[in-house]
Amino acid sequence: MTPALFVQSAIIGVSLASIYILMALGLTLMFGMMHIINFAHGAVYMLGAFVIYYVFFQGGAPYFAAFVASMILLGIFGYLVERSIYRPIKGGIEPTLVALIALTTFLQAAGYPVFGQLDKHVPPVFPGTRNILGVGISIERLMIIPLAGALVIGLYLFINKTRLGAAMRAIEQDKEAAALQGVNVHVVNGLAFAVGFALAAASGALMAPIFKLDPMMGEQPLLKAFIIIILGGLGSIPGAILGGLMLGLIDSIIATALGAEPAFLLSFVFIILVLLFKPTGLFGYAP
Amino acid sequence: MHRRLGVLLGLVVLAVLALLLPQFGGDYYVHIFALVFTNVILAASLRPSLTCGQLNIGHSAFMSIGAYTSALLAKNLAVPFEISLLGGALLATAVGWAIGYPSLRLRGVYFAMVTVAFVEVIRLIAQLWVPLTRGMSGLSGIPKPSVLGMTLSTRTGQYYLALVLMLATLLVLWKLEHSRLGLIWRSIGMADHLAQSLGVNIARHKLLAFMLGCFFAGIAGGFYAHFIRFLFPPEFGFLMATNILVYNYVGGRGHFVGPIVGAVFLSLLSEPFRGSPYETIFFSIAMLLTILFLPGGLITLPRKLAELRWWRTASAPTPSPAA
Repeated sequence: MTPALFVQSAIIGVSLASIYILMALGLTLMFGMMHIINFAHGAVYMLGAFVIYYVFFQGGAPYFAAFVASMILLGIFGYLVERSIYRPIKGGIEPTLVALIALTTFLQAAGYPVFGQLDKHVPPVFPGTRNILGVGISIERLMIIPLAGALVIGLYLFINKTRLGAAMRAIEQDKEAAALQGVNVHVVNGLAFAVGFALAAASGALMAPIFKLDPMMGEQPLLKAFIIIILGGLGSIPGAILGGLMLGLIDSIIATALGAEPAFLLSFVFIILVLLFKPTGLFGYAP
Repeated sequence: MHRRLGVLLGLVVLAVLALLLPQFGGDYYVHIFALVFTNVILAASLRPSLTCGQLNIGHSAFMSIGAYTSALLAKNLAVPFEISLLGGALLATAVGWAIGYPSLRLRGVYFAMVTVAFVEVIRLIAQLWVPLTRGMSGLSGIPKPSVLGMTLSTRTGQYYLALVLMLATLLVLWKLEHSRLGLIWRSIGMADHLAQSLGVNIARHKLLAFMLGCFFAGIAGGFYAHFIRFLFPPEFGFLMATNILVYNYVGGRGHFVGPIVGAVFLSLLSEPFRGSPYETIFFSIAMLLTILFLPGGLITLPRKLAELRWWRTASAPTPSPAA
């Protein structure tokens, strides 16, 4: 591998990592509060990308308006999912997971008749390439890094500096005690669903101009996000960020050298090894 | 005593119907029911793991291992069907150990996530290892099943083979569920810490339940390979894995017959739109509705209906009889 190719795949790796991190952060936030894994995260990513297709490409709205619309629409959807699936099941973890899997397969399968059988493409939003250290990188991919970074910082500030974020952290520590202090657990859980779904939608919206769109497009990012949170440790936000960076780099550099499929197989072997020798994840703490 | 007689009578009627089906139904029904029996094996083999409270969302991967191993042994090495079937099931069990050992020691969700990723791993291996599996061209030319050197060339013969395999699987699983082991699995599913404090090695029993499921999933896969005689990697993907889960939940988790009822009912009901996206839409809606409105599954439907009737006739509500 030439140095130029290495630099190129490293930069692409960081931009991929930012998407994976956005996905993993939503999963980790929801897991921390409700002890569920949102299996529908990949389907929400897909829907987020399709909102960009219809609002930005077909509807002609500005990209950022479509981006915000995607986050808001799917955030509302997340709240409704909490209201209609999570809450009625009353905290049963296993039935909730199964219901979320059912929701995922429903959204994917319904995608074919609704969006059509053919792959969709969104034209580039930031065309052109930029020369970095002697290699050309598409601006589209570069722009993902600051946009996703801004969302990560926004999430950090939201969780650590607002009253609502404090309520979320309270639920994460002790749900009953939080309720006794006057936190409306149902509403805050609903908002956590909304935030998680909005982050997944944002990832899909950022990737829409780069990859082709089809109803199954969320599978891969979902699996990557799973690998990241196993790597980083469930419920840990720094773990998700570091795990995401690691996986993004490994993924891009090995994929450039050997191909995308061997890279995925290798990352699976890697998480099995992590589970064998450091079961709580590289940066996690004992559950 | 009355109840037991009724159950026995019901079983006899079912057995007679199953035995006579090839006489009355055409080849179409024989084919469909052989596949239904395969689904019953798959659904029932997931039950021990679910009883322990472990969500295995990758069961189709082990079916795939059984199918490819048995098909390749028989096709390339001319191994007799009985041995290739067993070989596939044993390899599936061994792989189950390798995946289950690291991931079952932690919280259930880790195991669930690992199994989801594992489906993709097996699909990719089947897809990429072209010299062995023919990849996306699909593996064809798999020999028909044979028993004691006799090839079962008719659909009817293969149907009876499926019936025997299913009955043997159900017998073993039934016996295990009603043994001390089954009791331990239930105790782990209900309160794992309590079970541990009573001296149960929970990680080992979870692993055992999981590997048992992998073995029978391998058997189902082996039969499927020699019955359909064509294997295609994406067939054993995430969707088939979720279907196996759906059978258990829609049928009902509370009783041994739950997954059987679920597999038979859903396989037959979804037959008209097999292979189209509407099959998946149907399955996912059935799953969502069951979880939200009939958490005990179809097997609790008669009691629910009876309760409903009772509610209508009685004027004052009393505590539920379930308590």
